Amino acid sequence: MLFASMLVKLASQSSNVNIWLDILEFVVAFLSFFGFVLTSAVILVLAERKIMAWMQDRVGPIHTGPWGLLQSVADVGKLLMKEDIRAVKTDKSLFILAPSVFLAPVIAAFAVLPLSPYVSVPGTALATGIVYYVAMSSIDVVGVIMAGWSSNNKYSLIGGLRSAAQMISYELPLVLALVGVVMLTSILANSGLGTISIRDMMTYQTGGVYPGKGIGFFDFIFQGFTPWAWFFLQQPLMFIIYYICGLAETNRPPFDLPEAESELVAGYLTEYSGMRWAMFFLGEYGNMTIVSAIATYIFLGGFSGPGVAFLTGLNNGGWGLLGNLLAIGYFVIKVYLLCFVFIWVRSTLPRLRADQLMQFAWLILIPVTLFNIIVTALIYLVMNSLGSPNWLFQIVLGIVNFAMLIGFIYIVGRATVATTRRAQAPSIRARRRAAAAGQLPERASAGAASSGQK
Amino acid sequence: MVTNQSINTNPPVTDDTSEGITSQEMLLNMGPQHPSTHGVLRLILTMEGETVTDCTPVIGYLHRGIEKILENRTVMGGIRYMDNADYLSPMLNETAYAGAVEQLMGIEAPRRAQYIRLLTNEMQRIASHLVAIGTYGLDLGAFTPVLWTFRDREGILSLFEALGGSRFNVNYMRVGGVLHDFPKGWLKECEVFLDQLEKNMVELDLLLTGNEIFDARTQGVGYIDQQQAIAYGLTGPMLRASGISWDLRVNRPYMAYREVPVNVQVRQEGDCFARYLVRMMEITESIRLCRVAIDKMPAGPIGTRTPIALRPPRGETYFAIESSKGELGIYFISDGSEYPWRAKIRGPSFVNLQILPEMLRGHKMGDVIAILGSTDIVLGEVDR
Repeated sequence: MLFASMLVKLASQSSNVNIWLDILEFVVAFLSFFGFVLTSAVILVLAERKIMAWMQDRVGPIHTGPWGLLQSVADVGKLLMKEDIRAVKTDKSLFILAPSVFLAPVIAAFAVLPLSPYVSVPGTALATGIVYYVAMSSIDVVGVIMAGWSSNNKYSLIGGLRSAAQMISYELPLVLALVGVVMLTSILANSGLGTISIRDMMTYQTGGVYPGKGIGFFDFIFQGFTPWAWFFLQQPLMFIIYYICGLAETNRPPFDLPEAESELVAGYLTEYSGMRWAMFFLGEYGNMTIVSAIATYIFLGGFSGPGVAFLTGLNNGGWGLLGNLLAIGYFVIKVYLLCFVFIWVRSTLPRLRADQLMQFAWLILIPVTLFNIIVTALIYLVMNSLGSPNWLFQIVLGIVNFAMLIGFIYIVGRATVATTRRAQAPSIRARRRAAAAGQLPERASAGAASSGQK
Repeated sequence: MVTNQSINTNPPVTDDTSEGITSQEMLLNMGPQHPSTHGVLRLILTMEGETVTDCTPVIGYLHRGIEKILENRTVMGGIRYMDNADYLSPMLNETAYAGAVEQLMGIEAPRRAQYIRLLTNEMQRIASHLVAIGTYGLDLGAFTPVLWTFRDREGILSLFEALGGSRFNVNYMRVGGVLHDFPKGWLKECEVFLDQLEKNMVELDLLLTGNEIFDARTQGVGYIDQQQAIAYGLTGPMLRASGISWDLRVNRPYMAYREVPVNVQVRQEGDCFARYLVRMMEITESIRLCRVAIDKMPAGPIGTRTPIALRPPRGETYFAIESSKGELGIYFISDGSEYPWRAKIRGPSFVNLQILPEMLRGHKMGDVIAILGSTDIVLGEVDR
């Protein structure tokens, strides 16, 4: 309220109409974001249940509302009205603060994401968008540790500490995966200076790639919509690795160890109930949306789609509104497509073990991302010294990266199995044999019985 | 039996590690209310960091005194209580009980009844293994297998419902035969189901067996060598996964298994993956056996006449069948009255559970559930 009154005072002092328009833009953008985060969580929960039900040969929620569509609404209502339980021996202040610390950065991270050409809070102009996003997503860890520690529950504590280790480990390959794209932007920029602003990274994929041909239909489709220039095609391996790290960052399966139900009951969420639990839940699904949204901006051309740039470029109120609505539509479709993969992965894969999770991050993902940075730089160095144009470099880079992607997929499974098998089997067997030899009396008849059967 | 009082709740501070950091052992109480201890098993884990150094299973939370109830029920009336012992394979339990009484009385069920028993037993084995595999997937964090296997198990339960009138506690076996003959068209439905099941099993196999994460979680985990397996008295898939070919259907054939040869499924690895794979292969083998039983199903009576007040002769006997989890034996003592003087159940789950602390030692917290799941215990049979 204070902030709003300050804005009003500021606006009344100056007679400039543009300030009122800026305030309006801010309010619209802010409200749409807040609404988007909160409703997106509710929609995703329902979508997840329905999609998983479809994959598992069942119907999912069906009784509440038509086709079970109101299930999430009913759940939210239930959570709001639930008694707020806090165990006596919990650390009160930390216990109460933890959900907020978890949820706030999730909502804050949306500040750097434009929804459409018009609907974007001023934060999207931030030149250090990616750094801001990474910083916000790493604050989550604090909330998780606070929850795990303050719950005064062993399962919570193990869950919280696992989560801390996991989120910090996977932050590194996540950032390194984005470095490849940042390098690309600095190569594409004529000044040689790239960008880490999310909005600018999007424009590298959309703006100026397609020169207006003056043919109305083609202009309408391809102005600002150039799928062949999306970074996804030039850095597919980084896209996949970013996505894997996103799964780990959001504690989604197969990296959902912090809340591994079969081992840790519910991890750091064990002692939470009611609205506090719902805030964690909201934060998790919000995180999922953010990871998907960032992937959309950096690898999939953001909100660009047929007609957006053309319609908003007409400088006409009505057509501009339509263009913005289209942009939001494209954005939401891309984000939810990525969220669908999250859900798909969840219903397919088992969970990794804690040490395998660390191994995967430190022994596989980080070397691969570092290797990719070197390869990208080397290719540019060679091609640039040969005097080739940018588009040829991009094609070569894309081909090399796709080859690396296939190699990665081929090798990673083998490596995971082989490293764990090599790491654990002999030592455990040796230890177990030694332990067994001390405790068990030798039974001469046991061996004889086994050979005598058949 | 471990009680709460006998467990030292203040573990000593362990030795200094090489870095000079003093750490304390943590006592973690897993269960009896825990999502994946397969019922109400309670594990008291002594942990150092995430590594399990010791484990004490505490059982008895599901004790219903089934053996005592059997002593207070007539022989025929007791069959129904056998359903509740290993509640995932009631048909097998009933067969064991009925078989023990038959052995004591010196009668044999007619051939048709024997084949019906074989068919229902193999279907029950499939159902039990389906639950084992599905919940094992759930233990490892894969959500889908459990729903697929329960869908398939649903078909078996529906077929049992048509047979005995009840889906779960079928109460179908009788001393000297079975309760009813098949309803009309039951065998045809059974064949249709088996065809569908075969297709579904291929799908399940594709989902789980080749999965790298699944491999990494199960291979080399929870290793039991041959000598240990025998020393601990393991039976069933637990034993066969350690490379020992021992199956009562082959080694001590009973009823129709004397005529129908069984291919024993053996794996050499001795780890969780081998146990999972043995169960998968046994499902395939059981499907084959079901088909054989349907093809060879003889005509004739489904039971011998036994007196209504069934009085087994004075004496004692031990009769064991190959249950889905191992050797399910009934030690039956009769004093010549209508009631058994003693009916001791040798539950394979109970025996197989003994090796758990031995397997867990030195593994990570995450492996506890993977190993426990692979033993496929049913607490109803452990506690009885």
